[in-house]
Amino acid sequence: MENQDTPQIITHIEHNLNHSLFDCKWIPCSAKFVVIGCLPKGSGTIEIFEITSGEINKIKEIERPNSYKCGTFGASSDIERRLATGDFKGTLEIWDLEKTCQVYITKEHTDIINSIDGIGGNTFNCGAPELVTGSRDGTVKVWDPRQRGKPVANMQPMKGEIKRDCWAVAFGNSFNDAERIVVAGYDNGDLKMFDLRTMSLRWECNLRNGVCSTEFDRKDIPMNKLVATTLEGKFHVFDIRTQNPTKGFAQVLDNSTKSGTIWVSRHLPQNRDIFVTCAGNGQVSLWKYEYPEQRFHVDGHGVAVGVPGKLNRLQRMVISSQPINALDWNKDHLGLAVATAYDQYVRVIVTTKLNLH
Amino acid sequence: MEKAFEIQRNARDNVKSFQTYLTDLQNWETEMKRKEAALHGDFEQDLPPVRSKVRKERPVQVKKKPENRIPSSDYKAWEKFDVDKACEEVDMADVGPASLDSKKSEVNKQEKFRDEAQYEKERGNAFVKQNKWDEAIACYNRAIELVKDDAIYYANRGLCYLKKDSLHQAENDCTEALKLDPTYVKALQRRATARERLGSLRAASSDLNEVIKLEPHNAAAKRQLETIKTRMGTKGAKSKSSPLSTPTLEEKSFTKAKTEAAKPKVIELPQVEPTPLEKWKEGLGENITVIKTVKKPPHLRSKRALKHITIKEIPLGCTVPKPKIIEIDNLAQGDTNNNSDTKKDIDLSAKGDCIQDNITEKVGGNLVHGVGHKVPPIDKMVAPVNSVQFMNEWKYLRGADEARSDYLSIIDPKKIPAIFANALESDVLSELLRTLYEYKDKFTLGGVGAYLQAFANVKRFSALAMFLTDNDKLLINKMLVHCKTKEALSDDEVAELKNKYEF
Repeated sequence: MENQDTPQIITHIEHNLNHSLFDCKWIPCSAKFVVIGCLPKGSGTIEIFEITSGEINKIKEIERPNSYKCGTFGASSDIERRLATGDFKGTLEIWDLEKTCQVYITKEHTDIINSIDGIGGNTFNCGAPELVTGSRDGTVKVWDPRQRGKPVANMQPMKGEIKRDCWAVAFGNSFNDAERIVVAGYDNGDLKMFDLRTMSLRWECNLRNGVCSTEFDRKDIPMNKLVATTLEGKFHVFDIRTQNPTKGFAQVLDNSTKSGTIWVSRHLPQNRDIFVTCAGNGQVSLWKYEYPEQRFHVDGHGVAVGVPGKLNRLQRMVISSQPINALDWNKDHLGLAVATAYDQYVRVIVTTKLNLH
Repeated sequence: MEKAFEIQRNARDNVKSFQTYLTDLQNWETEMKRKEAALHGDFEQDLPPVRSKVRKERPVQVKKKPENRIPSSDYKAWEKFDVDKACEEVDMADVGPASLDSKKSEVNKQEKFRDEAQYEKERGNAFVKQNKWDEAIACYNRAIELVKDDAIYYANRGLCYLKKDSLHQAENDCTEALKLDPTYVKALQRRATARERLGSLRAASSDLNEVIKLEPHNAAAKRQLETIKTRMGTKGAKSKSSPLSTPTLEEKSFTKAKTEAAKPKVIELPQVEPTPLEKWKEGLGENITVIKTVKKPPHLRSKRALKHITIKEIPLGCTVPKPKIIEIDNLAQGDTNNNSDTKKDIDLSAKGDCIQDNITEKVGGNLVHGVGHKVPPIDKMVAPVNSVQFMNEWKYLRGADEARSDYLSIIDPKKIPAIFANALESDVLSELLRTLYEYKDKFTLGGVGAYLQAFANVKRFSALAMFLTDNDKLLINKMLVHCKTKEALSDDEVAELKNKYEF
């Protein structure tokens, strides 16, 4: 039951855009965000909005022939703030938004880039600035903006294997210059963890439903937790501190809400144990992961086995009539988020009392 | 009842907390905007290398020879061992050469910018080839942003603007390029074109004059100047009262000279009596020619090979008759009735390089370019030592086939591969072959056959052979027959030549 400390999720600003939206990201160190989408005629748009005392003002709009699908600022410093985008034709572009021009264009994917993630742009992140893209052509490619044209790593199915549509990618475990991990979720429910240092597949499992979104609770720490959301309203939280050679990672599965596909899940930048899931019925749910008393125990063979924790739902709120397909927490302001949904609205959402958890 | 109160209080609380949140948000917004405005500092990060290059870029580790260990039993050596020094060495090893590193990163950064700019330029050039001017301009914009002191980027962007008919922008870009490199001929020519189309003909022709000054054999510039002059001639009468553009400072001196040239009226300057020192310097009253020192930047100097001039000592008081050159000079000036002071300066300065040059350059500059210009006699020609010299002379002799054959004949065929290195082009080869054929009796240094062999020995000749026209092949065939009959070339040699010329 609601008590005094329960956070509230409130739609602060709602803005109709009259075209499809796919992704939204806060521009680092600003009160602005970009919305990536496509117009009915099929051309892609990148729009920049600024929030000013309860209103959204459009500052800039970029339109290009190909529709964009996803974007990230992760590989760019907070000073340069370059947006990396993936589009429906498989082109990766890095934008200088102030000058409205691309500084990096490469088309190595043969089909739509479904998901993109970046790392290393900020000083507190370790390692090289890198981007990872997952595409319908079945490949996951890692890019360094300093190397033009060619990916620095390419993960693709072996010859003869069926190419699965990669829906989600995420970076993590980047706690020093060498270590780095990419997880990729596929339409057949495969979740693969690639170690970029050793260039090998570290772990894989099947979640029995297409993986729509995946994220580490933090990118720049030794890997701790991983959330993967799937179709049919399920999501998995893995405790990835302890890897058992046979059992893999401990996990908690939540399928309690009959809310349709969970499109996206995002951890709160200020508190890694709180995350939000956005569902197909337009509901956002705020979750908190409660750690068990002991995070692992040693089994009969003397090998450590992880112990799953518990999930505690703090709040939920239906904010849209259509699936919410993207959400981004603001790094600088606790509880501030921007979300896009298939009802063609972009919403600025505030969540109060998060500091109490 | 308790419950109802609690719910009410909760709701109130929530509203309150939301209100506080919103005020916070407002403050944060203004704070962020302020911060963002201040975000324009230099940002540097020490990043690890690109993943795939890690192995390549691993720094070379200096292998230190392990010092001789002192055996524990060698007490005498231990007595000499300096503990303090050893400690210091160990300490220093940890610190490392830090200062070196920081310097390197600065240089690296600059280099990175230059690389990036170069990359953008190449992309821009590719767009230019596809006639995509806007994209090319965007590329050059980025290149200029990265490296601000390269004239090429400005000049190239100028070309794009020119093609897009943004004439003012084109002119500005070329001016910018010329600020960085005042001798950049392409930029001058582009600016001339822009100015010509903008209607400032005088400025355009001054640019072209500059081009001709830098590259006396530049035919395109001469043609353009010619058309501008005719335009000026037709236009001048009508638009004298309303000039299209006000001449800028740099054009003024030229404008004045031009108007004087147009109108034969000459304003006599009051004669100033020269001082004795000036008199001595000018050699006035003495029957001698004073050769003045000439200072020319390297790019303005003649590109022809230097000629050996024997210097004859003259006993003091004994004077030589006036050299012929002066007369020719005067003649030329009289011909062209263009006696502006600037022109004279050029003549004088050119004198320093090569006396014979003077006449030819003079004539080339003022008369209609093409067939019929004066050519140096064979004994004044100098065999080239590299392809640049050759091409200069060869182009200059265009239209004068006889002179070309003379020129070719003084080149030792054995040296031809060395002269051309890999700069022989197919059209030049065609011209060479034609000259060779038409004057085949002239080549005493080993005959036509030697020349043919020499050409075949030029680097990358096989590529050139592919581009030989039917006409060329016909000529070669005829020459080979000539070689066989007149020069007694063996069948083997002829066959080899045929093979090389790909028959």
